[in-house]
Amino acid sequence: MPFLGELFVSEILRKPVLDPKGNVLGRVKDFVIVKGEPLPKISSLIIERKKGLFNVPWTDLNIFNKRIISAKIYSEVLQPYKLNDEDLLLVRDILDKQIVDINGVKVVRVNDVKLEGYDTEAVLIAVDVGMRGIMRRLGVERGSEDLMKLFKRHLPYNLISWNYIQTLEPKLTTISLTVPRQMLSELHPADIADIISQVSHKEGATFFKDLDVDVAAEALSELKPETQVDIISEMETDKAADIIEEMPPDEAADILSDLPMDKAKEILESIEKEEAEDIQELLSHEEDTAGGVMTNEFIAYPPETTIREAIEKFRKDAEVIETVYYIYVIDANEKLIGVVSLRDMLLADLDAKLLDIMETKLKTVGPETDETEVAEIISKYNLVALPVVDAEGFMLGIVTIDDVIDRLLPPAAKRKRRKM
Amino acid sequence: MTRWKRLLILLSIIGPGVITANVDNDAGGIATYSIAGAHFGYSLLWSLIPITIALIVIQEMSARMGAVTGKGLAALIRENYGARITFWLMAALFITNLGNTAAEFAGWAASNELFGINKYISVPISAIVVWLLVVKGTYRIVEKIFLIICLVYFVYIPAALLAKPDWSVVAIQTIKPSFQFNAAYIALFIGVVGTTIAPWMQFYLQSAVVEKGIRKEEYWASRIDVIVGCFMTDIVAFFIIVACGATLFPAGIKIDSAKEAAIALAPFAGKYASILFAVGLANASLFSASILPLATAYYICEGMGWESGVNKTFNEAPQFMWLYTILIATGSLIILIPNAPLIAIMWISQVINGIMLPFVLIFMLSLINKKELMEDYINSKTFNRIAWSTTIIMIVLTMMFVVSMFV
Repeated sequence: MPFLGELFVSEILRKPVLDPKGNVLGRVKDFVIVKGEPLPKISSLIIERKKGLFNVPWTDLNIFNKRIISAKIYSEVLQPYKLNDEDLLLVRDILDKQIVDINGVKVVRVNDVKLEGYDTEAVLIAVDVGMRGIMRRLGVERGSEDLMKLFKRHLPYNLISWNYIQTLEPKLTTISLTVPRQMLSELHPADIADIISQVSHKEGATFFKDLDVDVAAEALSELKPETQVDIISEMETDKAADIIEEMPPDEAADILSDLPMDKAKEILESIEKEEAEDIQELLSHEEDTAGGVMTNEFIAYPPETTIREAIEKFRKDAEVIETVYYIYVIDANEKLIGVVSLRDMLLADLDAKLLDIMETKLKTVGPETDETEVAEIISKYNLVALPVVDAEGFMLGIVTIDDVIDRLLPPAAKRKRRKM
Repeated sequence: MTRWKRLLILLSIIGPGVITANVDNDAGGIATYSIAGAHFGYSLLWSLIPITIALIVIQEMSARMGAVTGKGLAALIRENYGARITFWLMAALFITNLGNTAAEFAGWAASNELFGINKYISVPISAIVVWLLVVKGTYRIVEKIFLIICLVYFVYIPAALLAKPDWSVVAIQTIKPSFQFNAAYIALFIGVVGTTIAPWMQFYLQSAVVEKGIRKEEYWASRIDVIVGCFMTDIVAFFIIVACGATLFPAGIKIDSAKEAAIALAPFAGKYASILFAVGLANASLFSASILPLATAYYICEGMGWESGVNKTFNEAPQFMWLYTILIATGSLIILIPNAPLIAIMWISQVINGIMLPFVLIFMLSLINKKELMEDYINSKTFNRIAWSTTIIMIVLTMMFVVSMFV
């Protein structure tokens, strides 16, 4: 596996490529790009040696990173490369080109291209269209970042994920986006998360500052836990509290539990009291147990409630609660005694009582139940949510199916599904 | 194609070439021509013919590249020579054009003073009008206004007629090359050539052709546009030299600026000639003051990959609008500073202009000979010879112009 991590093309242009003995084979001149799943990838390096061009296939490379590029082959076996129109070349055909949106409107220019290691390949993950890219090309990225710091500002990252770029053909004069310009600024929070996971975490925090609180909250919950923690720690407490308050309590609790104690406490103190209590309760459970993944927002009514009353109440409660597909029935002692699905409730006679239609053979778990077991139960009984009760039968919360899926699928897998 | 149809196409295409060439007769240009006429009579008139040819050769290449590639010069340089070169080129052009813009506002202030209007009134008003024109206007309206302004340049024709020159002498001096081997003559000769071709013009013309959506099928019309423009420019220059050459030269009056020329004309050619000169200067200055910042903002954004366009808002194209605004604001404010070093500002911008020109011309020649860009529209061998000789002569003269400013 020659390439791990990420780098920008401009950082390795004109770098020497070494043979196994450490002699210079040539200098990086260009890259041949081929289609790949999920993203286009580098198939070979074109290096310049004494004015001649040579082709070094990706598979012949040994090490490929910012500092060192080395091949497994010696100069004697280098294959000459002839420029042609069939190959798609990264520097010749992509770098510096105009990007137009789907309506043909000139938008921006490709200042740099970001590569990332994926399996054993180097894939094109994003194009840099921002000032930072220009500064990097000029070789003054660090310098200008330092300069901006003097003014307490950050040099913004402006990356467009490759997902939004149309399939490339050789010899293109412009590069097209698959979305109109306006849509780029109204990205789905999951896509914002995608971009943020591509920029360094320090800058991620800056990026977040400019987002709407609700968009930020949604985007944040899409990120990997490490990234979440990095971003929240970089943020000012007030802003972080605003965002966390906006998140569902279980996700908020997850983030807070990963934060350093002081910071978590600070944030909790700035959050509205009621919300903070919910989160605190969730925080007391182990992270990989039902108690750790559950949310304590759910809908629960007494058994004597009529369907008419229940629907009336439901209309109000459902506005603020995330998972509403089950109406739990709890008695005067807050013990869970039954459940009514939303469907059953809507279909039932309005004068009936919850007591009459509720299902009493409930699947429940305790707060210490392992999350894998929780997932198994949810999967086996095709549930949308699973109630968590303590030893006395008090209802503590519910584990919803989306929480379980997020736990089981590693974030990297999400990207796998994307096409070129 | 019927003759009428061709005429219609021509009329719809005309604009970029005429406008670009006329902006060339800016405050600095008019001053140079006035001084040339006042100090050396008709003896520099002949130089206008080779200058016109050189101007046509270079402008034609810009228009051709725009029509064939559909891209501006800054875009082509960026795509073929990379970000680094483009950045420094754009930075240098920003500085020279900031200086040039200030010089235009200085010309505007001077012409207004001739009508008794204080510069603290005339400059801020013009800066706001110019700014609004682009921020609130559309390209079609802006171009129409610019084309009408181009016609105002003809005020120099009646001004020259009022000066009652001896037309037979004028005619002979125009076609008979002459040369005087003294420092002042050579300096002015270089000055006349040097003000004619400025780097920003090539960028502006090519972008304007692209912006107008002219394709290679209509290129023939664009070529006529360029040629007409170049002739207009030098016809105006011709009449400025004649007007001053017929009056101030025989009287031995020395002038330093276009404003002095307008004042000095009154006793000889009457107050109407003087007024026409003042109107001409005001028109030229304001015209250039509106195009220069616009052109600069355009090609910098084009090269750097920022959104641009007359129809955009501050939100849609922030860099474009800010560059444009900063150029106008700074350019006009410099003029309003008491005891501002105006001469030094103009001097520095002229020097950087001269230093940039060789680079721009060489980039142009190398781009226009790239088969993959220009296909069948690359320069022919003969045209290449003419273009290279023109370029080399321009470079040598401009270098001499720059050096002479230090001497």
